[in-house]
Formats: sequence, C-alpha cells, structure tokens
Amino acid sequence: MEPLDSLASIYPESRFSRDAAFQAAFESDGLTVFRAKPRAVVIPESAEEVIQTIRWCHEHAVPFVARGSGTSLSGGSLPVADGIVIALNRLNRILKIDPVERIAVVEPGVVNQHVSDAAASEGLYYAPDPSSQSICTIGGNLAFNSGGAHCLKYGMTSNHVIGCKAVLATGEVVTMGGESLETVGPDFTGLFVGSEGLFGVAIEITLRLLPKPEQFHTVLVGYDSLQAAGDAVSAVIDSGLLPGALEIMDALSIEAAEAAVACGYPPGAAAVLIVELEGPREKIEQERQQLDEILTSTEPFAQRVAVDEADRLFIWKGRKSAFSAVGRLSPDFLVQDGVVPRSRLGEALVRIQQLSAEANIRVANVFHAGDGNLHPLIMFDGSQPGALHRAEELAAKLSRLCIEMGGSITGEHGVGMEKRDFLPEMFDEPTIRMMHRIREAMDPKVIANPGKMFPGKEAPALSKVGLHPLEKAGVISRE
Amino acid sequence: MNEPSETRPNPSEDQTLDTPESLEQLRDAVQSSPRVLAVGQRTKPPLSETDATLVCTRRLSGITEYEPSEFTFTALAGTPLTEITDTLAQRGQYLPFDPVLAGAGSTLGGAVGAGLSGSGRFRYGGIRDFLLGAKFISGEGEWIEAGGKVVKNAAGFDIPKLLVGSLGRYGVMAELTFKVFPQPVAQLSLGIKCSTHELARQRMARVAKSRWELFAIDYQPDPGIVHLRLGGPPQANDQIAEEIQTEWSGEVTNIPLSESIWAKTSELNFGPHDTVLKVPTTGPKMQQLCETLESAEGVTLHASLAGQLVWIAVSGNTRLRSIDTLLQSLGLSGLMVRGNGTCWLGSENGAGMAIGSQMQRAIKQAMDPTAKFPELPFPELIASQ
Ligand SMILES: Cc1cc2nc3c(=O)[nH]c(=O)nc-3n(C[C@H](O)[C@H](O)[C@H](O)COP(=O)(O)OP(=O)(O)OC[C@H]3O[C@@H](n4cnc5c(N)ncnc54)[C@H](O)[C@@H]3O)c2cc1C
Repeated sequence: MEPLDSLASIYPESRFSRDAAFQAAFESDGLTVFRAKPRAVVIPESAEEVIQTIRWCHEHAVPFVARGSGTSLSGGSLPVADGIVIALNRLNRILKIDPVERIAVVEPGVVNQHVSDAAASEGLYYAPDPSSQSICTIGGNLAFNSGGAHCLKYGMTSNHVIGCKAVLATGEVVTMGGESLETVGPDFTGLFVGSEGLFGVAIEITLRLLPKPEQFHTVLVGYDSLQAAGDAVSAVIDSGLLPGALEIMDALSIEAAEAAVACGYPPGAAAVLIVELEGPREKIEQERQQLDEILTSTEPFAQRVAVDEADRLFIWKGRKSAFSAVGRLSPDFLVQDGVVPRSRLGEALVRIQQLSAEANIRVANVFHAGDGNLHPLIMFDGSQPGALHRAEELAAKLSRLCIEMGGSITGEHGVGMEKRDFLPEMFDEPTIRMMHRIREAMDPKVIANPGKMFPGKEAPALSKVGLHPLEKAGVISRE
Repeated sequence: MNEPSETRPNPSEDQTLDTPESLEQLRDAVQSSPRVLAVGQRTKPPLSETDATLVCTRRLSGITEYEPSEFTFTALAGTPLTEITDTLAQRGQYLPFDPVLAGAGSTLGGAVGAGLSGSGRFRYGGIRDFLLGAKFISGEGEWIEAGGKVVKNAAGFDIPKLLVGSLGRYGVMAELTFKVFPQPVAQLSLGIKCSTHELARQRMARVAKSRWELFAIDYQPDPGIVHLRLGGPPQANDQIAEEIQTEWSGEVTNIPLSESIWAKTSELNFGPHDTVLKVPTTGPKMQQLCETLESAEGVTLHASLAGQLVWIAVSGNTRLRSIDTLLQSLGLSGLMVRGNGTCWLGSENGAGMAIGSQMQRAIKQAMDPTAKFPELPFPELIASQ
C-alpha cells in the first residue's frame, strides 16, 4: 500500500484531499509572497484524528504544518512542499466556559472572537485581540503568541494560556499546565506558546478569562509632528497611568484610513495618538482627569473624546482599517513587525524615514506605541521588475534597525518564513543551538513545520504581494 | 513520593558552597564541578536538597539597567528582591505579583527558579508573565541569552518561561530582565466574614468576576475571612469599597494595610509553622482541602488567587504523609518551598506537570545534555498515552 493510502484511511473522502485544485486554497497564508504545494490536506474533526495523523507523519517521516485560518503574516502556516497540511478549522468546539474559575477550554480551531462571544453572558472576555480576531484561531494565536492593541496592560497570548494538551511531533500526547493560574515545575505551557508549530499541534487549550471592563475612555489626539506624539506617549507612561491601549498612526496611514473609512481624524495631523483607559467607572472618573492634564501639556492641536460606544468604535475603525487602507495608496505592501525600546521610538521613526527616502520607497507607520511595537508598511508595485526585491531589502534594514536598537525582529507576527534569516542576528550561536536542541527534543525527525523560524535551504516560490483574500473580501483588517 | 525525611543535614556544612563574584567566576564554578546546583539565599531549602555542589549567586547582585519609562529593568540573579522592590518603589513602579519571600532574603534568580508568585498574581499575571529575558550558563559552560529586553517580543522559543519553576535544573541564571508596572496610587484592603468554606468560595467567585477589578482575592479559612485588595486612586477605592460593603452589609470590614494579610502571605508567614507547600488548585478542591484539614492540628491553610492556589503550612514533617495522601486523592501536586526534606508531594499529574515523561526527559536532555545539574526532583511521571 502506498503510505499516503494509510493516512487517507483515517479520514472519510471528504476530509482528505490530494486534489491540486482543492489544495490551492492552502498554498499560501497572510504573507502571500510565498506559495508551496502540499502533498495532501487533511481536515480532522477530532483530536484523535490529529493524533493519528501526526503519528503517521512521524512513522513515515513526512513533514506537516498545522493550519488555523491561515492569516499568519510571516508565512508561518505556509505548507511545506510535499508535506501534509492539517487544517484545524473544524476542531472548533468550545468545550467549556467555566464562569466560576473564569476559564475557557477550547479546541484549537475556535476563532478568537468566538471565545469572548461565548463568555459575554457571564460578563467575561478573552483579552488578546489581534485585529484578525474575527477570523484567526486560538491555535494560531497560541503558536505565534499573538498580540493586539491591548497588550500593554494584559500582555500577549502567553499571559492568557494556562494549559494546553498537545500532540508532539513524536506522536506523544502531553498535557501541560491546567485550570489553575499557578503550576509547579518548569513552565512547559510557556515554552509551547510561541513555538510557531515547530513542536507539534495543540489540540485542547485552556484560556484565562477576565471580567469585561465596565467603562472605556478613548481619546483621539492630533499632533503636528510624530515626535510630539511619541513624547506624549512617554508623558502618559511617566505619569503612572496604565492605559489599555496607546496607539500612533503617521500622516500617510491617516491619509489611507481617511480615504478608506472616513474616520474623521484631525485634518492635517502629522500623527494621531489613541489613548484608551478602561476599568470601573469610579477609577475612570479619576484617571480621565489626570489623562486630560497630561495630554493638554503635550500641546496637541486637536483632541476628541469618544462620547459613546459607537463613537469609540468609530475612532478605532480608522486605526483598525489602517493596513488594508494602505492598499488604496499602493498596489502592494509588506507589513513589517518590529520592536524597539519605547524611549527610542522617535529615533527609530527618524531612521525609518531616512531609510525610506534613501530607497525611494514610501513607508506608512502604525504602531502599538505603548509597547514600542512598530508596524511599518512598505509600499511597492509588484508589477514593476525588482520592486518586490527592493521592498524586501528595505524590510531587512528595518529588522536590523530593531536589533541594533536593542529590540526585537517581531513583537507579534512571529518569525515564520519571513524573518527566519534574522533570528541568528538577534540571538548568538549558543542560544540558537539551544533552541535547535529544544526543537529536536520535541521533534527529532524535524517534521513539524520545517523551514520556519530558523534559516533553511528550502525557499518556496515567490509571488506578488497583496491583500489577504479575506481582506479583499472585507472580512478582516490588519493591525 | 520519596520518604519525607524528618531531619536534613545542613548542606552548607558538608557540601561545597561556591560563591563567585563575577560572571567569569560563575562559569568557572559551573565547569569545575561534575554536578552543580545554583542557589541564592536558600530561602527555599527543599528545592536545593541535593548532593551537587552548590553555586551561590548572592555576590552576583545589583540592578544593571533600569529605565522607568521602558517599564523594564535588568538585574543580576543574586539581587535581593527587596533591593528591586525598593528601587522600583522610588520611581512609583512595582512587580505586581507580590514577590514571595522577599523579606526572608530571596533573590531574583531564586524567585524565578522556584516559580513563586504571591497574591497579586491575580490581577496582572505571575512571575512568568513579567520575566522577559534571561542570561544563563548552560551545563556545558556556554552563555545563553534568551528572550529580550523589551516588553514585547515574539522571536524564537520562549526559553525564559521554561526556566520559571525549573528549580535550577536547566542552567545557572546570571541576569534577568523583567517588565514592571506603575504602582497603583493607593491600595485598600477589605475583609468579608464567611461562615463556611463554601460561602467563601462563592463569594470569591462573585468578586473575581465583578466590575471592581480587584488586585488580590485571598481566603483565610481560619477564621473564615475573604480578603480583597483594591488598587487605584483613593476616592475610587473608597467608592468601590462602599459598594462592596453594601453588598454584604455587616460582614465587611476595612482592614488597615498595616494589619492586612498581604505581606504575611508573601512571606509565607500566615501560620506559625516552618514547612510550607504550594498547591495549585481550583475552587472546589480548595474547598475540600479547607474542609478536610479544618481540624487538623499543626496545619494552617491560606488560599490565594480566588481559590486557585492554596498554601499549606505544617509544623515539622510529621503531618506530611497524610497531606501527601490527601493531595494524591484530590489529584493535586504540592511543592514544598519552606522546611526540610523532599520537595514533592501529592499526585504526579497536578497542575503544571506535563504528563508525558518522554517530553520532560527530552527537554532536560536538550537543556542539559551532560547532566551537569540534578534531575528535577519529581516522581516518575505517568507514562504517556
Ligand atoms: C488582516 C490581518 C490582521 C492581523 N492582525 C494581527 C494583530 O493585530 N496582532 C497579531 O499578533 N497578529 C495579527 N495578524 C496575524 C495573524 O492573524 C496571527 O498570527 C494569528 O494568530 C494567526 O492565526 P491563524 O488561525 O490564522 O493561524 P495560521 O496562520 O493558520 O497559523 C499560524 C501558525 O500557527 C501554527 N498553528 C496553527 N494552529 C496550530 C495548533 N493548533 N498547534 C500548533 N501550531 C498551530 C501554524 O502552523 C502557523 O505556524 C493579522 C493577520 C491579518 C491577515
């Protein structure tokens, strides 16, 4: 029997495919620049099928890639050429919402937003909020330790995953963590989160839920320079306030957002800052006064407070649409993700502007300013010969800039395929070797998502860059 | 479990104790002995119960970088927690998880290795969530610099988290980077009298879900008081406290911070006993522990994290056997952090244990291929499925 037949025997015909046309949907992810053809796509509906699939892959030394919704912006869920894609979208049951212990136990294909929806009637929510949250899965979030606009106060995905059952690439099923916030022994859950699918597949995930904030206080502030907006962030941070979100957009991204969603940002602003406080109304009452004073001292030329929830969402709409909106200014763009120390944000922006001018490539900037997390958007026209290459060169310079400034090559989008060449520039040799050893402990045959995170030989086909198909359809927008 | 020993020889007498004063000396110390375990101030003796050479980090002390507007600091592993909390407090910042045993002299490295967080863990996360980066020396004598120095970083495997709770069995930490937060302007403590453990559990569940955003929710089974901590502007704290008082009229008292249980809990001094276990759990089992051990002599319980963590303090080691049996019957694991003797009690698959011994062994082998550091002192784990 052909080995693939024994894999096929695990699944009914409708959930196993070697059909090229069917597989086309899985050839790429949110980083559309890369494409690869898998050998087969399987669509498990139970954890047991995932376990059997991975044991089959292990036995036959066939590589596999777990896939949630395929929204990875770093090529993380790109298939391995001739490997198996394990599409997890149908493992989408919320197994338990426990309002007393304030936890949710979910299958990996559950969509991020659905967790908060299911917990809403209990007054609870799941805090990490990537802008892809209406479509991306908890499994993908876990693998990438995804972030969102509200990481400053509550942290990334890792802070909210308290337990995980996984099938490792060896076929071994392990249970890490549990239903308590605390554990004893090494924090294996913490290691598993952010491992980018290189250890195995999470099949059951236990999440911490938080009480929904009672009140929000959202302020939109316009500045006549990026520097002034950056200084305002420092002023807020130094005041001792801990906002839920602190976001900056530059003139180019404001222009794009304005054109796309008419978000009513202050005309002529060189930068806007969004500050959001959240908490019990008594606290907000006090803290908003403090924030008011700080913002006034930063001499903004325009300032507006959201008057109600609709208005708040309206303010956020401009911010959340910024990335897809850039698609209006340029046929193609690369979304960068890097981190610099917050106090060096201003300096980083000046450098980005210089690099952009030198390369003669327009770059729009959007950032989670409170975390020093930059998202430069590198615009180009993929139909021009060499344009993609030049854009990638600029992206590489930006990654190196982040390393040089003592930051990181990724704050939330992961290393994946895109940044794998930079990992050894961020970490020294012994540290990289240690990472390889850990990976081999989990995956001695190197079959789990090979070719990602670490520099490798195989480079799948490059194609033109563009919006994610779901963005084109207006289902999601980038952050 | 291993037999809990009644007495323990004092390791500092019959064991070599190396106290390097520089990173080079630290590396030499690790390389010059066949088997090594790092210790700080040994505030948690059961965790370093071993015949390995002890390498003490206490002379590797001091904050090396602190930039308040970055919300980060970096310090050598032997830095006393008190030095850190004092330095941060001068700039209105803090580690929100109530570092454990700071007053007893615990070092930063020891706190990470033991993986201990106090009552404040409830609000913003534990020591695992605030640790950003770690520089440590591997068993092969190589410096590993994992994680980063910025508050957000998703590059590479999160090795710093793996070090949390690893009891020094994966490497010797030399320098650690943490995230910090601004301290709340004011704090306020309330106590709610509860006549039964069940009532306490219900009330904790109620407040944990509330709009009030409590910073800590603890329970003292004897004399039956749920403790709440609020943080924020003083007027806001007062207003929220008033509402809580109205909700359980006549049963809520304002407790001056100086008399509150928070400091005693962080120091694990909530009971008059010398042996203390950390037991991660959930509400129902917390209640069972409280009920079962209610009249046990020489045993004091304290619950934190709205019932998800129980500290059990006992006099000497005589009661450990029955507590071990009890934990096993409830499927809970306990880590002995104060006292003498073996550090592990209860079930092998309580919270945190990775069922699947192969993974645990493979990771140990990956982190420490030459077995320079002792094995994790855990019972043989259940065979994987
Ligand atoms: C429009 C847009 C906006 C975005 N906004 C944000 C944002 O604000 N913040 C942010 O952090 N990211 C953002 N992203 C990136 C992306 O949405 C996240 O990385 C998300 O977590 C990916 O989820 P997914 O389900 O699509 O995973 P996929 O892309 O399918 O997979 C991502 C990675 O996870 C692995 N994986 C998936 N499931 C499992 C599993 N069960 N076990 C082990 N590994 C698994 C895959 O192998 C892959 O390596 C955005 C992307 C887009 C397209």
